[in-house]
Amino acid sequence: MVNLVYTELLKLKRAKMFMVSLIGAAAAPLMVFIGYLDYKAKKPDMPVLFSEAFSQTNLYVLLLIGTLLYGVITAYLFNREYVEDTLKNLLTIPVSKISFIASKLVLLFIWILVLTLVAWGLTFILGWIGQYEGLSAGVLLQSLKQFLIGGSLLFLLSTPTIFVTFLFKNYVPTIIFTAVITMGNVALANREYKALYPWSAVHLIADNGFVPEYPPLYSYAAIIATAIIGLIATIVYFKKADIH
Amino acid sequence: MSAIIKTTHLTKAYGTQKAVDNLHMTVEQGQIYGFLGQNGAGKTTTIRMLLGLIKPTQGQIEIFGENLLTKQKEILRRVGSIVEFSGFYENLTARENLLINAKLMGVHKKNAIEEALEIVGLQNEPAKLVGKYSLGMKQRLGIARAILHHPELLILDEPTNGLDPIGIKEIRKLITTLAEERKITILISSHILSEVEQLADQIGIIHQGKLLEEISFAELRTRNRKFLEFQVSNDNKAAMLLEQRFDIFDYEVHDDGKIRVYSHIGQQGKINKMLVEHDIEVSRIALSEDRLEDYFIKLIGGGTIG
Ligand SMILES: Nc1ncnc2c1ncn2[C@@H]1O[C@H](COP(=O)(O)OP(=O)(O)O)[C@@H](O)[C@H]1O
Ligand SMILES: [Mg+2]
Repeated sequence: MVNLVYTELLKLKRAKMFMVSLIGAAAAPLMVFIGYLDYKAKKPDMPVLFSEAFSQTNLYVLLLIGTLLYGVITAYLFNREYVEDTLKNLLTIPVSKISFIASKLVLLFIWILVLTLVAWGLTFILGWIGQYEGLSAGVLLQSLKQFLIGGSLLFLLSTPTIFVTFLFKNYVPTIIFTAVITMGNVALANREYKALYPWSAVHLIADNGFVPEYPPLYSYAAIIATAIIGLIATIVYFKKADIH
Repeated sequence: MSAIIKTTHLTKAYGTQKAVDNLHMTVEQGQIYGFLGQNGAGKTTTIRMLLGLIKPTQGQIEIFGENLLTKQKEILRRVGSIVEFSGFYENLTARENLLINAKLMGVHKKNAIEEALEIVGLQNEPAKLVGKYSLGMKQRLGIARAILHHPELLILDEPTNGLDPIGIKEIRKLITTLAEERKITILISSHILSEVEQLADQIGIIHQGKLLEEISFAELRTRNRKFLEFQVSNDNKAAMLLEQRFDIFDYEVHDDGKIRVYSHIGQQGKINKMLVEHDIEVSRIALSEDRLEDYFIKLIGGGTIG
């Protein structure tokens, strides 16, 4: 397994996709920073708090950019073996189909964590440049925890995306799928059902912003059920699929 | 000799179409086995089944005397392969691509990658990314990857497909060397007869999913028959005269006035004289042998190969 993860890392060497994903991860902190500049121009006397900036950035990451960006890198990781026609080599080495999926999942998790830390770190740096107020160790730790919880839960929710990628062996349906998921986030933003929709439930859990109608357990259950169903569908499908 | 590959009743159906139909194939140890058939005959489908990439609809596969279904992992460790075109990670160099395989197969020998690259003649461009490789270089790299772990059996699916004549010759030389020096059993598929003719000890001919024949080249040569070929101005009349005057019935009329006579070898002078006396122009007489290609075309019932 260590060797498999090592080879997965090696496959990313010089890969443009990694650089592109870093730019994608920078989008949310930059958006928040631009919003801050605008706000400062209009109301120069009002303070801007670090905790606010972190929480807004995490909102954008989890509900908008993350679902799309992590969907794209998920599709890239799994689909490239079809596109570059390398899957048959791996499976005749032989690597078992389960370890293949497992090693990709480990890499996806690392990748999402890196992007999460980039978004968090950039928010911190931009806040320092913009002289936001209210910086404390407590704020930093709390926000870092919220970012990491959100990123990890979105990672769990990548399994349906993997299934869609395996099913169609093409980027386009996967990207449409993640776009639809993101639309769902937007549509439910002001409704209590967001606690039940797995992808927006991620933000509720990370931000502790539960709605009175549904207890937190419902949100956890929605996420875990989706992740497990996605994983089972992926494994069952991939195990019996012919490799062409 | 022992069988390295043995399939029984091997069948793969896509819907109602049988891409591979009840195949009984035997590859013996140390052989170069030429697996011959037109495009769409079922070669790649068979090879994918041999490598466990697709599941047979019916039938069994034994490799090294073990059932592929139950011992797939152990068997595949001793096999190297190329299926159709070789895919690589294009953002990596040849070495990095081979390193992936070496890591995953547990090839620990330090210079294994270097050695494999040298055998296929790709040792001189360490910095070039595989994305910039030509098709011929990729096919050679595919062979390097297939032999990296010193397999006992090499399965190559049309390794020369799409290459220029020089590239084809290089690969052919490479395969002969591997068979001789490493004593590897090799299954090589092709739709070009002349390609395997110069390599293989044994051929299996597949057509529309069925294995029509499995035969050694040595035996094939003894079967090839000699014939006299007359190029005549009127083949109908000539054929009638051959039957009436010489009792010749073992003959074939081919295109543009060619008649092949499979008996009476040595009597071409007499036959010629008779034809000329009956106002038939004979512009050419030749003594030849059925070429393998003709045999092949006969076997698959017309059509062309290569
Ligand atoms: N995945 C598939 N689905 C449906 N038909 C297929 C598939 N793969 C191959 N075939 C059909 O099976 C037959 C044999 O194909 P193939 O084994 O690739 O031939 P060859 O390698 O000898 O050129 C062809 O008629 C082809 O169209
Ligand atoms: Mg083929």
